[in-house]
Amino acid sequence: MQCSECIERLDAHRDGELTPVARDAVDAHLAECAECTRRGDALLAVSHHLQEGLMQFRAPDVMRARIRSAISLERSTESTPAPPRTPWTRLVAAGLMIALVSSGGTYAAMQGRARAASVSDAILASHIRSLMPGHLVDVASNDQHNVKPWFNGRVDLSPRVPGLDSAGFGLIGGRLDYVADRSVAAVVYRRRQHLINVYAWPSTGENATLSLSVTHGYNLVRWRRDHVEYWTVSDLNAGELTQFVNMFQGSRGAQRE
Amino acid sequence: MARVSEDPFEQLILPHLDDAYTLARYLLRDAHDAQDVVQDAALRAFRYFDSYRGGDPRAWFLAIVRNCCHTAQRQHGALRTISLADAHAEVPQESYATDESAVGASERENLERIMAELPIEFREVLVLRELQELSYAQIGEVLGVPIGTVMSRLSRARKRVAARLGGHAKEAS
Repeated sequence: MQCSECIERLDAHRDGELTPVARDAVDAHLAECAECTRRGDALLAVSHHLQEGLMQFRAPDVMRARIRSAISLERSTESTPAPPRTPWTRLVAAGLMIALVSSGGTYAAMQGRARAASVSDAILASHIRSLMPGHLVDVASNDQHNVKPWFNGRVDLSPRVPGLDSAGFGLIGGRLDYVADRSVAAVVYRRRQHLINVYAWPSTGENATLSLSVTHGYNLVRWRRDHVEYWTVSDLNAGELTQFVNMFQGSRGAQRE
Repeated sequence: MARVSEDPFEQLILPHLDDAYTLARYLLRDAHDAQDVVQDAALRAFRYFDSYRGGDPRAWFLAIVRNCCHTAQRQHGALRTISLADAHAEVPQESYATDESAVGASERENLERIMAELPIEFREVLVLRELQELSYAQIGEVLGVPIGTVMSRLSRARKRVAARLGGHAKEAS
C-alpha cells in the first residue's frame, strides 16, 4: 500500500468503518511506515480532543414543554389536512380558527354565556400564542421577587406570584398580554412538561369559586377573588391543575404583599 | 398522561431532543435560534412521521433538525454577527461536560472557539461523529450525501481542527 492510499483511509480506519480486508491492509502499512504511524497518532489525538471537549447540551425544559404543547395542539386539530409549511403561522391560524368557530356559534345564540365563552376563547388563543418561540415570557425568572415587581406600572394590579417550586410547580416568568380588550398580567408556571398560564385582571364582580371547563383538549379554570378575575389554562390534567389553583390561592399567607 | 408511553413518536423521536438541541447549538451558535429551530423541527417530524420507514429514528430526526438549521442559517444567519464572549458566557449554566476531568475549561473554551470559526459543513460532521457517534452511513443519511463524501469531509474537518489546535498535531495533506 502506498502512503497516499493509507492517508485516505486513516479516518475510516480510526472510526472502525473499514472492511476487515482494508483494515488489515492499513495495519500492515502502519507497521512498516513511521510517517503514516505519526499521522495516525495525530489523527487519534485530535479525535480524542474533540470527543472530550465538545459539549453535549441539555434541551431546555421550556423548549420541551413548548414542543409537547404544540404537539398536543396538533393532535387535537389533526383532522384539518394542510400542507406542513409554516408551522407557527399555522398554529396561530388554528388558534384563531378555534376562537372564530366557537365564538361565532356563541354570538349566533345570543346567550348570556357568550361573553364568558369569548373570554375563554381569547384566553386559549393567548395560551397557544404564548407557546410560540419568543412569546412565552417578557420577564424570565424563577424568583417571585423578580417577577412580581416587574408588573408594577405595566398593568393596573399587582398580580399574585406565589413561589410553588416546592410543590412541583416551577415559576418560569411573567408577561404582559392583551386578552378580551384589556391588558392583563400573565404568570407562567411549569409542571413537568406542561406549561400553565395564569391570567389576572381587575374585576368589579363578587367573589366566585372555581369553575372548570375543557376547550379543545385544554383545561381552563376561572375564579374571582378580591376584585381580581383569574383564568388558568394548561394542557395539564384537570386534577393537577385544580391542585395548582388551590395552592396558588392558598399561598396568600406565605406570600408577602 | 398514559398515552405518552404508547405513542411511537414520543417513544422514538422525543428522546433525541438533547442531541437535536446540541446539533442546533453548534450549527446556529445561538441558544434562542437553536430552541426555535428544534421546536420547529420536532413539529415537522411529528407531521412527517408517516414517512418514517423504520431505520434509525435519531438519524431520521437529526436530518430534519439539520435541514431546519440550514434554512434558518440561510434566512438570517448572514445578518448576525456573533459575539464569542457572549456565546461563552452562557455556556456553563446549561451545558454539562462529557468528562470534566479530561479537558480543562480553557482547553474547552479554545476548542469552542475553533469550532465556532469552522464552516458549518465541518461543524456538523464533527458533532455527528465525535460527539454523537453516528456511523458514516447514519451521517450520510443526516447530511444527504454519500458515505465517501462523509469520509472526506470528516477527514478535512479533523485536519483543520488539528492545525488550529497547534503545531504538534499538524498534518501534512
